[in-house]
Amino acid sequence: MFDVAGLWHGFQIAFSPVNLLWGFIGCALGTAVGVLPGLGPAATIALLLPISMKMGSPITAIILMSGIFYGAMYGGSTTSILLKIPGEAASVVTCIDGYEMAKMGRAGPALGIAAIGSFIAGTVGLVGLTMMAPPLAEAALKFGPPEYFSLTVLGLLLATYLTGDSALKGLTMAILGLILGCIGLDPLSGAVRFDFGVVDLQSNIDFVTLAMGLFGVGEILYSLEKSETTSILTTKIKNVFPTMVDLGRSGWAMVRGSVIGFLVGILPGGGAVLSSLISYAVEKKVSKHPEEFGHGAIEGVAGPESANNAAASSSFIPLLTLGIPGNASTAMIFAALLIHGITPGPFLLTEHPDVFWGVVASMYIGNVMLLVLNLPLVGIWVQLLRVPYAFMAPLILVLTLVGVYSVNNSVFDIWVMLIMGVFGYLARKLKFDLGPLLLAFVLGPIMERSLRQALLMSNGKFGIFFTHPISGTLLGIAILFVVYNILAARKKNA
Amino acid sequence: MKSWQRYTGLCLLAVAALVIQQSVWVLRLFDHGQPGSGFMPFGLGVILAILAIGLIATNLGPEEKQIPFWEPKAWLRPLLAIVITAAYIIVFDDIGAITSVVVLVAGWLLLVERKSLLVSASTGLLTGLVVYLLFERFLQTPFPRGVLF
Repeated sequence: MFDVAGLWHGFQIAFSPVNLLWGFIGCALGTAVGVLPGLGPAATIALLLPISMKMGSPITAIILMSGIFYGAMYGGSTTSILLKIPGEAASVVTCIDGYEMAKMGRAGPALGIAAIGSFIAGTVGLVGLTMMAPPLAEAALKFGPPEYFSLTVLGLLLATYLTGDSALKGLTMAILGLILGCIGLDPLSGAVRFDFGVVDLQSNIDFVTLAMGLFGVGEILYSLEKSETTSILTTKIKNVFPTMVDLGRSGWAMVRGSVIGFLVGILPGGGAVLSSLISYAVEKKVSKHPEEFGHGAIEGVAGPESANNAAASSSFIPLLTLGIPGNASTAMIFAALLIHGITPGPFLLTEHPDVFWGVVASMYIGNVMLLVLNLPLVGIWVQLLRVPYAFMAPLILVLTLVGVYSVNNSVFDIWVMLIMGVFGYLARKLKFDLGPLLLAFVLGPIMERSLRQALLMSNGKFGIFFTHPISGTLLGIAILFVVYNILAARKKNA
Repeated sequence: MKSWQRYTGLCLLAVAALVIQQSVWVLRLFDHGQPGSGFMPFGLGVILAILAIGLIATNLGPEEKQIPFWEPKAWLRPLLAIVITAAYIIVFDDIGAITSVVVLVAGWLLLVERKSLLVSASTGLLTGLVVYLLFERFLQTPFPRGVLF
């Protein structure tokens, strides 16, 4: 069950000086983007995709990106607690009690318990990943085209329903993502689709271009609407190490947060945001003093912060074992693996064990790095908030523009990125979630190939998706899920 | 906001119609009795059309609250940014990658952020230097050479 030899091999890879350095850079960058409101981990990973392509080793590239992803979960709590502004979406609920604690002069213990909870939960998530991934990958070897089609359908549906406010809008974005994925060469027949006579459209739209446009340029344009307000930080941070009383009150909240985060993180679309919300609700429910929630209850910080880190770790399980990314950030990591010629999925463990175990081991190391970065050095991260966004926005834009050009040396790609940026900006304004679009764009080719291969196998009979037991079960769950949500929505409207 | 959602629905309906038209007339729905290159796009077009109609239908009726799509003049800075970026792409090949980066950053700070000429120009030059060192020297990206650099 526990592949000690594999993990040991992974630690040997992760402890190489180059990987340690890039792991540290990833964790530091992740903490920074977590602290800074606006720029999320998905956008940062998108910005670094072109640079990662120039890295010789795919392991180093994925170690960097994973560090950014889970590092952001740590950093996100800092601004939530000190300024009541979530640095990262997953830290929204931390604002409630974290900020109240800061107002009471207890910013230090709030930040401390957030970091300790994050460390414990992140490690729990990693142990789960280490133990669950190998048997799951082995089971996934039995998957054929019908199973993969059903799995992508279920994954997309769950991601769509669980991420945004509106399932209708989420589904619309997912379908748009699938359509964008159809532009260019048909993966099976080689026919050119939707090129409209433009030669550059005959090759498929590049993932990096799309991701940087939607998440990089789109985010910058959206942030320009708001007038900049530089917050002068007057909060003094002292005693970041919580007292025994604080630890006693937070212990079970961390345990519950870890379990909730781990389970929710495995679900496509579940991820860090949903797990932190569920954790907060559970903590309030089980607390002997629910009236303290909203007024500085330390459990309201410990639970959600633990949950979002456990979810970040466990979201690697479907990515690395099934090749199905569950959120925008893991979709970026999925694309980075593909760029380096590695297909995430059940064969990853057997064909590229060094990548799998190297990345997993680096995450254990990264968790320790993040604890050090976020406990004694929290004051340094707070200073980042003094950098005016007026200067950061054009610098980020330049990185995206030059970065996307460097992928294919194509000016056309920069135009596509700008168009996607404008689209992303308008979508944000219209309250459409961009995550499902990106996920669908990544999953689209897998879905189409599986669909058409399955229909080839069955001579065009759709029954194949229901007669194969695993495929039928997955589709059954998908149908039940949709029906349940429609009935729930109708009941709510009635 | 409801009216903007309805306009969005109409745009999506137009996209769906285009996808269906291309799938049926330009691509092949079926090829030798098997799903062809237009099979999946056709299905997606149909689903998108249904979703677009759903979006329009759920946003019929008067606005519950009058929320403007843009606050007064809030559109100006994003629009300026789009125009400056488009200008950057147009001159990218002609004046060279590094020079265009300097112009983009300086222009952005001057026009979008209303910073002084000195601050804008020095930040632009510094960014150009960083891009040169990171991309051209370290990552060896073959940038286009322009008339200036």
